[in-house]
Amino acid sequence: MSVSDNISIDSKAPVAVWAQVDATSAKVSLSGIVNVYSLGGVWTQIRESQDAWFKQGDNKAKTITVDTSNVASLDGAGIAFLIALEEAQAIAGGKFALTGLDPRYQPLLKEFDPIANLFPTPVVKPKRSFVVSTGMAAQNLIDDAAGLISFTGHLFADLVWSIRNPKQVRWGDFINAAVEAGVAALPIVGLVAFLIGVILSFQAAIGMEQFGAVSFVGPLAALGIVREMGPLITAILLAGRSSAAFAAEIGTMTVNSEVDALVSGGLSPIRFLVVPRVLAGILVAPILTLFADIVSIFSSMLTMLIYGIPFVNFYNGMLAAVSIEDVLSGLLKATLFGVVVSAMGCLRGMQTGTGAAAVGISATRAVVSSIVMIVLVDGIFAFISYKTGF
Amino acid sequence: MNAPITSNNPNNSKCAIDVQNLTVGYGSKILMQNLNFTVNNGEIFVILGGSGCGKSSLLKNLFGLYQPLAGNVLIEGQNITTAQGAERQKIMTSFGVMYQQGALFGSMNLLDNVTLFMQEYTQLTESQMNLLARCKLDLVGLLPFESYMPSEISGGMQKRAAIARAMALDPKILFLDEPSAGLDPITSADLDSTIQDLSKNLGITFVIVSHELASIYAIADKVIMLDKDAKGIIAEGDPKVLRDTSKDPRVHQFFNRIMSKDVA
Repeated sequence: MSVSDNISIDSKAPVAVWAQVDATSAKVSLSGIVNVYSLGGVWTQIRESQDAWFKQGDNKAKTITVDTSNVASLDGAGIAFLIALEEAQAIAGGKFALTGLDPRYQPLLKEFDPIANLFPTPVVKPKRSFVVSTGMAAQNLIDDAAGLISFTGHLFADLVWSIRNPKQVRWGDFINAAVEAGVAALPIVGLVAFLIGVILSFQAAIGMEQFGAVSFVGPLAALGIVREMGPLITAILLAGRSSAAFAAEIGTMTVNSEVDALVSGGLSPIRFLVVPRVLAGILVAPILTLFADIVSIFSSMLTMLIYGIPFVNFYNGMLAAVSIEDVLSGLLKATLFGVVVSAMGCLRGMQTGTGAAAVGISATRAVVSSIVMIVLVDGIFAFISYKTGF
Repeated sequence: MNAPITSNNPNNSKCAIDVQNLTVGYGSKILMQNLNFTVNNGEIFVILGGSGCGKSSLLKNLFGLYQPLAGNVLIEGQNITTAQGAERQKIMTSFGVMYQQGALFGSMNLLDNVTLFMQEYTQLTESQMNLLARCKLDLVGLLPFESYMPSEISGGMQKRAAIARAMALDPKILFLDEPSAGLDPITSADLDSTIQDLSKNLGITFVIVSHELASIYAIADKVIMLDKDAKGIIAEGDPKVLRDTSKDPRVHQFFNRIMSKDVA
């Protein structure tokens, strides 16, 4: 049994009945409890009868009489039904009469005078031409870039300010963010790093085996891990976890006017909200990357055991191929990723519009922008490494 | 199966809400203890009390959002405290609620906010629901704003839209949490008159949490006053009579807007 059955159980008989008296007059009799449930269906039937009646002869002479003398109770929906009949009659040019209405409903009916206001002409939204929508999209892109540049400038200024005034930095927020983005991320970073190490080694080994070069898989995987995979997987996990979290947290603060309260209190929201989180990103990203490097190389070692490469051979091969500069280069890149990911999260949070949906949009945008920026930074870094050899 | 709980009001048919030995609180923290009162059909019933004494919590217990720590609430003779499933849903559709902050659905415009519950519970067509929703919005003076999103209108307008949404299914009981707080005096007076019309003409029962003394004197048939320290009702009756005759210093102070330091 559906809920509506349950509710309309006391209204089996139709609450409104249509009767055409002659060519120019019709009667609608209401009875019983006329409410939002009992009118379902009946309303449509009566209106269809009325429209069919309008199709015959001259409408100017037609009068509809609504008899409400048998109504037990009428609610807001019942009154709206009367209004709908009256308006249809007015549009067709006919007359409307109401008989037997309990005087207590009169004030309510008067509330809606003139009833034509309740039937606004539908507004058709003008369609944007291709040129206009392209122009607007380009403008949005420019605005977004301008916002990013101005945010970067503010952030840099406030970071410098924080270095010069370390006592003014919100270290409590910094520690909370670092724990949430760093310590709490260890299990997932470890798991993903382990699996990436296994997959990387297997993929390489399948190819190298054909040339009898399985012993080179270890050095290759280790180099790839410390220079590229370690920083990249850490950054992408940070983007998914912490960038979204920062955006949602600051976004909710924006929606609740908390950011406005900081500004009107003369405090910079960037210094107050963004700096601690970006500093946390700078701290945890290289540490997580180092952790990911170690786990990945270990899982690669385990995988190569299957191909008969003992730990010690792997280790010696790795030492020959991977220098300390490679590791440092990876960690430097990870630090940049940390800045980008946490800053993008905070920026998108501060750009949040209004309402609950806006927070969700901000979190999505934070993750997408973070990943785009990670790839961009990675590309620039690869180019610089190629030119300088670092 | 619980033993059926009968109303303690002898004139049961007049009784919209019957509160029996209700204890309100969270976990081990008790806000109100052993409340007993009834709200009659068609009455405008106002819950008063200082900030933080548990008015809104009591309201949420009355309409079944929170489970009371003890006691029962009967809405039109049916116990909402123990009702489950379809029976509970049926009770839930017999009243409408306006929350303190409006709580409109941010992703829908005002018209869709009002029609949402109609879409779920009635067999009306879209144009019929839209007409009903426009009537509700007209009653609270928001007809020109039907296509606005909640974020595009002011806080006072959001509250009024929330009242329109609470009335969507023409419930017999309306629970309003501080409806006139933050409204300008004219809008507030209009709202008072709408509430009186609905109560007088359609017999809708109102349970209102309010601080607005002017509005309370204008519309309330009966008030109860809660007190944080007494954890219960310290006054009950007609607000004007309470203002003029109450000997209780707490009640006298409240109704006559006397500063706390002047009493001590």
